[in-house]
Amino acid sequence: MEHNWDFSAVFANKALLLMGLQNTVILGAICLVLGLFFGMFVGMARYSRNPVFYWPSTAFVEVFRNTPVLVQIVWFFFAFPIISPFDINAFTAATLGLTLNTTAFSSEIYRAGIQSIDKGQWEAAKALGMGYGEQMRRIILPQAVKRMIPAFMNRAVELMKMTSLASVIAYGELMHQAKTISTIEFNPIEMYTAVALLFFALIYPAAIAVQHFEKRLAARG
Amino acid sequence: MGYEWDFGIVFRDFDLLMLGLINTLKVTGLALLFGVPLGLILALLRLYGSWPIRIPVGVVIEFLRSTPPIAQLFWFFFALPILIGVEMDPFRASVLTFSLQSSAFFAEVFRGGIVSIDRGQWEAAKAIGMDRNRTLRRVILPQAVKRMIPAFLERAIELMKTTTLVSTISYADLLYQANSIAQSTYRSLEVFSIAAAIYFVVIFACSIGVRRIERYMARTGETTAH
Amino acid sequence: MTEVLRIENLHKSFDELEVLKGIDLTVKKGETVVLLGASGSGKSTMLRCVNFMEIPTSGRIVLQGEPVGREDGERMVYAEKELTLLRARVGMVFQHFNLFPHMTAKENVMEGPKTVLKLDAAECHRRADKYLEKVGLGWKADAYPSQLSGGQQQRIAIARALAMEPELMLFDEATSALDPELVGEVLETMKELAEEGMTMVIVTHELGFAYTVADRVLFLSEGNILEQGAPEAVLIHPQEEGTKNFLRGHGSFRLPTPQLD
Repeated sequence: MEHNWDFSAVFANKALLLMGLQNTVILGAICLVLGLFFGMFVGMARYSRNPVFYWPSTAFVEVFRNTPVLVQIVWFFFAFPIISPFDINAFTAATLGLTLNTTAFSSEIYRAGIQSIDKGQWEAAKALGMGYGEQMRRIILPQAVKRMIPAFMNRAVELMKMTSLASVIAYGELMHQAKTISTIEFNPIEMYTAVALLFFALIYPAAIAVQHFEKRLAARG
Repeated sequence: MGYEWDFGIVFRDFDLLMLGLINTLKVTGLALLFGVPLGLILALLRLYGSWPIRIPVGVVIEFLRSTPPIAQLFWFFFALPILIGVEMDPFRASVLTFSLQSSAFFAEVFRGGIVSIDRGQWEAAKAIGMDRNRTLRRVILPQAVKRMIPAFLERAIELMKTTTLVSTISYADLLYQANSIAQSTYRSLEVFSIAAAIYFVVIFACSIGVRRIERYMARTGETTAH
Repeated sequence: MTEVLRIENLHKSFDELEVLKGIDLTVKKGETVVLLGASGSGKSTMLRCVNFMEIPTSGRIVLQGEPVGREDGERMVYAEKELTLLRARVGMVFQHFNLFPHMTAKENVMEGPKTVLKLDAAECHRRADKYLEKVGLGWKADAYPSQLSGGQQQRIAIARALAMEPELMLFDEATSALDPELVGEVLETMKELAEEGMTMVIVTHELGFAYTVADRVLFLSEGNILEQGAPEAVLIHPQEEGTKNFLRGHGSFRLPTPQLD
């Protein structure tokens, strides 16, 4: 059956789509920055030998890594408000879910990165008379962070895909806009094709960058 | 002000939740069943196809990996039926979407595994007169597959998490059931928490299993290729 | 002469395995003490107990007349803060150098004075320049460890430890990981240090070096000091069977002095 491709309705609504794209990027950027930041502390807690730090952080990470993201977002939107002292709108719920998810995954990246540093580096720093904090700050983390960059970029790519799930709770990112518009304009084919292409244009360059950094890291050793 | 937790209502509908879980596993299982072989085909095409095949396949794989699964799902459920005039119920759309989506990731796992096999293996096979296909079948793939098992299993677990999207097109998986129960009982907190807990138990158990397997394989000298 | 280090009845166990079974040692200022022994004899462990990279199971370490740690009934209790301060006063050189790869040679040497001793920038630079020159690598100040040979890296590591101006220097098989032709330059540096009066405890396999440079040689066997004395005594006229066996194994193929002039 022939279909007449007609993208006019897509272009007519481009302002709405661009707003959706903007919201996608905003949500992604916020959750990435917060997630990478908190992930550092959770990662260090997971590396600690002190049970007070190790067990709660491990429980947190396992819960958020072993449940679907959509369930996390939906939980924060439908379940959490019941016991939450403050208001939860779609943006807050999505941010909470995605940030905590990113925190959990990036904490593993930190932990693995720290663990990959030769034990001798710890010893040399310790033998000079550095305390744990100084060892971390001056010697271990600077070396570890370089190795973690490809994995962090991978997280960023994943996160950009995950922001589309916020459409389920009616946050006005790109997917949600597409849904809304296609219902009004009756052009699901063009709309969903256009949106898929937009996402691709947004995400693929980042994926390429990841491969590039991975190669550079492998070469440097 | 305390909230009065009431899990009783949820347990009355527990069988609905279990039905949802079964549906989740059904979609995941079928997607794996189709996705893995398809991934192998894509990987081989990308590695050994002539360039008119290799390039489009590469584009398709990258496209499937760099677009959100929900966008793919919606396209297959809302757009495709109109385009080719085929009836698409939520179940079919889900299996189709996730078979393709997972095949793109499996293609990368296969490619990584095959490429990681020492060049010497190819040379040895060539030296006794094997052609490329036979070498692949008898020498390369058997070794590659063993290395890739942990990566496969991890991807499979990822897939289990990703298929929760099917609830958005009204396929009755666990999340969908939880949602409808919550809407009729107004016990969102309890229902969604229990659904999350069920997901956690199933996925965490699989995850631990995979870690055991990884440890076992590391001990017996097989390393993973990612 | 002042006593820099005293080890009293040092025991160290790793889980069930007792590696050090009661070591006693006194090191005076300016002395160079060499520890010899077979693998597993505990010599590295003993060295690492001195700057508390390993915590002793029992026994006392006394640095410059002050005992380390606090007595709590039968056990010694060590506060991490105290140990951290102690390590700034004792220099250690590792078998695998452990230079910081993300810093240049000079930055490696400056790191201790800057971050641990918190000296001002001018003093840090002065010390770094001085000790880099001392090990003969002032011209490599801006090189990264990956650009240096093993012998050069180890000399930078020595400079890094010296920049802290420690009261005691510990060398843990400093040349064991080096290609043979690079060993000499590091041993030369160590010899100069000894001659300048640095108090040193050295774990090594280089018997010729021990003979030439040490004031005292200790032979460890199975966690105890089997024999100790002047190099002439222990290395040339060993008394104990264990020492004799060790030296026998080491001296299998001896090169007569080559004519290099």
